[in-house]
Amino acid sequence: MQFCTACQKAMATIVIMDLSDGAVTGSQHLCQACAEQLGVGQPKPPKFSAELLEDLLGQKGSRARSRPSEACSGCGMTPADFRSKGRLGCPRCYEAFRGELVPLLLRIHEAAAHRGRLPVPAPAAVVSEDDGRTLTDVRRRLEDAVRGERYEEAARLRDELRRLERGDAS
Amino acid sequence: MSKPRRDKQPEFRPGTWLLGTGPESDIAICTRVRLARNLQDFPFSPRLDEAEAQELYRFVTQRLQKPGLPEALTVLDLQPVEELERTVLVERHLISRELAGSKKPSGVAVDLEESVAVMINEEDHLRVQVFAPGLQPEAAWRRAERLDDALIARLPMAWSEEFGFLTSCPTNTGTGLRLSVMLHLPGLVWSEEIDKATTVAQKIHLAVRGLYGEGSRALGDFYQVSNQVTLGRDETTIQSEVLLAVGRIVQWEREVRSALLRGSARVKTLDRVHRALGTLERAQILTSEEALGCLSAVRFGIEENLLDGFAIPAVNRALLLSQPGHLQRHSKELLKPDERDQRRAQLLREVLGCQR
Repeated sequence: MQFCTACQKAMATIVIMDLSDGAVTGSQHLCQACAEQLGVGQPKPPKFSAELLEDLLGQKGSRARSRPSEACSGCGMTPADFRSKGRLGCPRCYEAFRGELVPLLLRIHEAAAHRGRLPVPAPAAVVSEDDGRTLTDVRRRLEDAVRGERYEEAARLRDELRRLERGDAS
Repeated sequence: MSKPRRDKQPEFRPGTWLLGTGPESDIAICTRVRLARNLQDFPFSPRLDEAEAQELYRFVTQRLQKPGLPEALTVLDLQPVEELERTVLVERHLISRELAGSKKPSGVAVDLEESVAVMINEEDHLRVQVFAPGLQPEAAWRRAERLDDALIARLPMAWSEEFGFLTSCPTNTGTGLRLSVMLHLPGLVWSEEIDKATTVAQKIHLAVRGLYGEGSRALGDFYQVSNQVTLGRDETTIQSEVLLAVGRIVQWEREVRSALLRGSARVKTLDRVHRALGTLERAQILTSEEALGCLSAVRFGIEENLLDGFAIPAVNRALLLSQPGHLQRHSKELLKPDERDQRRAQLLREVLGCQR
């Protein structure tokens, strides 16, 4: 720990590094308050990056971006409505806006898959029944891996998830 | 449809949330479990038009009234209910302020003890609430779970394996569970440690709110601590997280209380408690904010054996009757704010038995 280079009073909790061609060329240690004042801090830094998981899942530019203007078939809510209100219009919106919803859920809950009670006992595995892994299960473990910064495992799980999504049980 | 049974809600009954019994009830007033549930094949409540809202209301109330539900619930149709009575229901925590302000077909199904209230057509189609006095997350959860099972058996709920229970707002997605504990924290407020306590709670993703939930102020030193995360953690985990945090806050409150009663602090604390009582005994005009502040101090005085001759149930009753809705209903007339403040001062003297 060291003191904030701006105010010299508080302990620095944020390190800003200057990078050039992958090499660190300079760094600045700031406390939360000064970082916010300088516009470089995040009011509430997420424990792990939603964007990172988004990138891993390859949802940026694929599913989410490829059909940006499709309204929900259940209630007619448009993506613009969803973005401005942050609310879903009907149960089907969860599928219609999945691409935008997943990062939102990650920001709110630091998770994008349910654990706990369901109206019926969990159905048999959707795909790849023999090794007992469902899409949800893999997605959960991927989240855990990203949260635990175990990136090699995360990459492996991402590949597995892609395989499962394509439907070819490995 | 059942007729509203207003005669079954006499104003002197505190409702389960204010019984003042149960584990740790000197500090933890009440535990509440809330479940957000929605039906398949209907848009979420904010997107329902009048006719759809009516259809949903009818569908839900018909199914609710079929025999076999683990709770004996009476459905109160809110549409014909006037503003004052709606305010009373909000003050009793049976409906939310949002539902009270809604003109859409909506209702609430309540049991006689007011320990269960199912709101219909709030932000979600169903908002199941179960109250248990004191700190009893597990008991409240078990009761809510049993009711939820019965509701699931008679209503086609919206859910997915991936996202759990589907809710109108993504902040409730998953378990739909909000577990909150209402705490009376005068010690932390008086010793100015409350901000520290709320910051600690927020760091572990718990929300700290005032007496009447989101956006409400912590009147009378009452705070609600609840989980914020509903997705990715199961119900048992949520319970243990809330229980752990609340346990620590309760412990913290006990420690600061004992510090407030030791050494040179003691006389200041006694002064504060007795001044509050003096105000309640003598004041001719009392705003609800001042009344709640004084009642909080008196409640603290009783709990810490600093005051004789007063009982917690009387204070609880006074807390409820100080609220604008209850005050006006008790007075049987609509009062302007300054009239309310006079009536409040008078009524509190009566309730606390310090009429002179």
